[in-house]
Amino acid sequence: MEPHGKTTTMRAKNVKFAFKEFLHSVKPYWLPILLSVLLAVGSAVLGLFVPKLLGDMTNIAVDTYPNIDWGAVGSKAIMVIILFALSAVLQYAQAFVLAVVSANYTKDLREKIITKISNLPISYFDKHKFGDTLSRMTNDVDVLTTSMSQEIADISLSLTILIGVMIMMLTISVPLSLVSFVVVPISVLVVGGITNFAQKYFREQQNTLGTLNSKIEEDYAGIIIIKSNSYEKTASDSFNATNQKLAKAATRAQVFSSLSFPVTHVFTNLGYIAICILGGMFVIDGNLSIGSIQAFIQYVSRFNRPITEIASTTATIQSILAASERIFEFLSEKEETPDEDPAMEVAKVKGEVEFHDVDFSYDGKTPIIKHFSVKVKSGTNVAIVGPTGAGKTTVINLLMRFYEPTSGYITVDGVPINKMKRADVRQLFGMVLQDTWLFSGSVEENLKYGRKNASLKDIQEVAKFCNIEHIVEALPHGYNTMISEDSDNISAGEKQLLTIARAMVANPPMMILDEATSNVDTRTEHLIQDSFEKLTSGRTSFVIAHRLSTIRNADLILVMRDGEIVEQGNHNSLLKAGGFYADLYNSQFAEN
Amino acid sequence: MFKLLRFLKPYWWQVIILLVATGAQVYTTLQLPAMMADIINNGIVASDMDVVWRDGGIMLLLAMISALTSFVASYFSAKVGAYFSRDLRAAIFQKVLSFNMTSLKNYSTASLITRTTNDVNQIQMIITMMLSMLLRAPLFCVMGLVMAVQTAPEMSWIIVVGIAAVVISVIVIMTVVAPKFKIFQNLVDKITLITRENLTGLKVVRAFNNEKLEHKKFTRANDELTRLLIFIDRILELQNPLINIIFNGTTLLCSWIGISLLNQDFRYLGNMTAFAEYVTFVMMSFLMLSLFFIMIPRANVSAGRINEVLKTSPKIHYAKKTHGLPEKRASVEFRKVDFRYSDTSEKVLDGITFRAEAGKTTAFIGSTGSGKSTLINLVPRFYEATSGEVLVDGINVKDYEKDDLMRKIGLVPQRGVLFAGTVKSNIKFGAPNATSDDVRKAAEVAQAAGFIEKLPGGYDARIAQGGTNVSGGQKQRLSIARAVCKKPDIFVFDDAFSALDMKTDARLRAALKPITEDAVVLIVAQRVSTIKDADQIVVLDKGRMVGKGTHRELLAKCKIYQSIVKSQLSEAEFRKEMHGATR
Repeated sequence: MEPHGKTTTMRAKNVKFAFKEFLHSVKPYWLPILLSVLLAVGSAVLGLFVPKLLGDMTNIAVDTYPNIDWGAVGSKAIMVIILFALSAVLQYAQAFVLAVVSANYTKDLREKIITKISNLPISYFDKHKFGDTLSRMTNDVDVLTTSMSQEIADISLSLTILIGVMIMMLTISVPLSLVSFVVVPISVLVVGGITNFAQKYFREQQNTLGTLNSKIEEDYAGIIIIKSNSYEKTASDSFNATNQKLAKAATRAQVFSSLSFPVTHVFTNLGYIAICILGGMFVIDGNLSIGSIQAFIQYVSRFNRPITEIASTTATIQSILAASERIFEFLSEKEETPDEDPAMEVAKVKGEVEFHDVDFSYDGKTPIIKHFSVKVKSGTNVAIVGPTGAGKTTVINLLMRFYEPTSGYITVDGVPINKMKRADVRQLFGMVLQDTWLFSGSVEENLKYGRKNASLKDIQEVAKFCNIEHIVEALPHGYNTMISEDSDNISAGEKQLLTIARAMVANPPMMILDEATSNVDTRTEHLIQDSFEKLTSGRTSFVIAHRLSTIRNADLILVMRDGEIVEQGNHNSLLKAGGFYADLYNSQFAEN
Repeated sequence: MFKLLRFLKPYWWQVIILLVATGAQVYTTLQLPAMMADIINNGIVASDMDVVWRDGGIMLLLAMISALTSFVASYFSAKVGAYFSRDLRAAIFQKVLSFNMTSLKNYSTASLITRTTNDVNQIQMIITMMLSMLLRAPLFCVMGLVMAVQTAPEMSWIIVVGIAAVVISVIVIMTVVAPKFKIFQNLVDKITLITRENLTGLKVVRAFNNEKLEHKKFTRANDELTRLLIFIDRILELQNPLINIIFNGTTLLCSWIGISLLNQDFRYLGNMTAFAEYVTFVMMSFLMLSLFFIMIPRANVSAGRINEVLKTSPKIHYAKKTHGLPEKRASVEFRKVDFRYSDTSEKVLDGITFRAEAGKTTAFIGSTGSGKSTLINLVPRFYEATSGEVLVDGINVKDYEKDDLMRKIGLVPQRGVLFAGTVKSNIKFGAPNATSDDVRKAAEVAQAAGFIEKLPGGYDARIAQGGTNVSGGQKQRLSIARAVCKKPDIFVFDDAFSALDMKTDARLRAALKPITEDAVVLIVAQRVSTIKDADQIVVLDKGRMVGKGTHRELLAKCKIYQSIVKSQLSEAEFRKEMHGATR
């Protein structure tokens, strides 16, 4: 009962789209699916004859009583055994076929999603949370595939049993069958109604649970603030109120969903009793044999399950549609424009970069970069400075072709980078970001990320050069130590050093650096600065600079404000000019 | 798992009603086949229509009672389950709120959240199942057995055979599959991890042109998972066909034995049908029980994690009432304070002694791991000094009632923390009685007024959960405004300025000056520029105080301070500074 409620909290908005895409995606598997449906039908049909034959057995015994014809009874018994054994074999075969189909379908679906992730433009992820994409990969795929295989088996089985049971009952006694059939539509309607009603409460429960979970998350994250502001009582009160609401909603949801059980039970019992009474009358009148009524009763009790199951499929189908909509919506997102073909190349990289009147906007409305033009000679160290929101990071994103300019273009050694392959452009630059992302793997694997064929010796040399040798050696397993994005065996500053070394191993002709602003202790800071200098010397480099020393040592400072270069020059010339840069500088460093 | 059952205690009478209702329901359900046997034996075979009608009537009554009791039972099991988990969740929440930093350090926030949410949900599911299924199954078993033996004692052995077959088949399948579940979970986690890394490292992956490499990694895990899944399914899917064979087999056996017994007693004609139904009931109950016991280990993991939290006793107990006479002006004093996380670990702070006066700024600087954050967390008693004394207004912090102490402190942590609500509700967080004017003034001091006024709704603008709809710098400024609005005697800035750009940092410190005339200001900082003007700077290195004094004094005599300054300023600037210091 519970899983149904959990998965149907969301409804598909565009049912037609969700359904069409889903059907399209299972199309390659139509043959095994059809096979499994046929197997299910076969298994159900074979199973249906079991009560009938058991009834025949009793009839033979009663008819030949007291000298029971054991030969005839025995042959019926053997038939029963063959039937249910065969039925079980078919049932297993269908489950197996379906399991393989759904496993492979799931695999393909995941594969499609991961491919999609690497084909989507970065801008997609500015607008969508990672958690959302992740839950499409995990939860939604899970819901879709498990409920799909479950539904295919259930519906085909239930329908077959329902129809088969009806036929068998009719062959035993038409009037008795009619009595039982009356129960069917009533109980389907009632159960369906209850399920729908329960859905409403399940949604309420899920929503309240969501609210409560975010409250917990928030309070735990801010526990210091709560304590130091004596806010515990208010926080508890608010928590308790939501918690109470949840308990109420959960009770209601649970009660309603479990209501369908006693209700169907009443209906089937009513049918059962009616059959006993009516059947009794028929037997007494001589219209029906005892064996038949026995068989009939068994059929009536088998009538119950498929009805409840069919009534509850609506809920599962809803959850399939909701999941399929989320998955296929993601899969049909617009991908990055393909690389030019044939693409241009930079034969021998000198490292001359030029921005030609570049404009950029994320949403097509608010301009972020305006008329950006600059020529950077080979080997120049460029520092980009300016207040938050001036567009510094965007310049770098454009250079790496994470985004494309709205107008204007960028050239490297005279070749426009939008005419080159993206991979080739990115090959030109080594990048060190503020966000010190490392993947789960060993230190060595992480350092080799930019050059797979680097030897351990290469890496050790770079490590020495980048001041991380002693850090790596202090780790429990040296270069084989496992680290990850959120591993805490190394500090933030050390992570930064690792990312610098990673860029160094790749040894690219140009460099892009985004200096971290904070949370690095002074000693590490010193090392980082030193490595930064080594990394940039002799290469064309772009640095989003926060440290004074970096800025002062730069060959060219680009002062940005609201998407434009307002000033450019070196430290001394800019200070003399007494403009925006001088202002910025004086507010921070000047003695009194 | 069973330890948690004490949370059921307040609902004992509801559990009893549940038990009675379930018993009644099971009893009535089991009477139906007996009545039917009676109809066949005494009504149909004897051609007595009166018996048929009478028994039919009784059956109808039984069915009604069964439905009613079943409803009562599901109502109470739902209710007890929901309220049980409500209490459990509240208990964990209260516990976590009482934790000090040492306990918090042992668990990560994420893990505490999972324990309060997912783990409780797991337990709730198991409890509800237990209340509805587990109570019913043994009742069905016992009553079913009794009824079956009563109707046809000669056939009792069939029950034993049937139950044995069910239990053995479940156990065999599960022992083969269960160990694979752990591997399965690991692989699922791996897939999630790779996907997450591809998302969080989006730019790095692309910058290094490693899309293909990542894809290969994913495909390997994906293939492995698929293979394992097919293996598990291949065995798990045996369950249903096997159970069907067992059920059908027992029914056949019942008919066969029943027929062979007809010569002894013709009543076996009706009884064997009833008996077959009882056997099915009993086997069903065993099936449910065995499935339930398979779920227990999973619930046990959750229960264990919850118990761990509930068992953790808060290490710091605040006094019920504040003892001692406070000094007239605010002050913070450390006297030979040592601190270590546990008895066995190394000293994080070693012999710290200083006094911070009202109207003065005391700053702490040092590299990561020097203990500066730990030091200021001793003031609100988030950590407890291992030895030595921490005094606030001349009274030992151990003699304070919690809220009396907290009222004095305005804390701004390293990471700006906001709560869902409005800008105003966040600034008023520590001072519920603050007027709109107070709020605005606090925002101005914190250099937040400018961006707040640009927000849609201004001070009434919504803040999303965790403050995700404002930038890091804005978050930090709002959390500074929150501390300012509280008008505390002691300001504690735990590296609160480094998320701000230097210009804002400077302006903010200037604005703080006039409102901190009567307050102690403690600042932990990374940047020399932030603390240069402090009245007193404490330099820490590996938990020890290596210098205390003003910027100038320290420049002149403290080697470590010199190296810190040197790393942040250019050579020329450094020389200028040194010159100024020694002049």
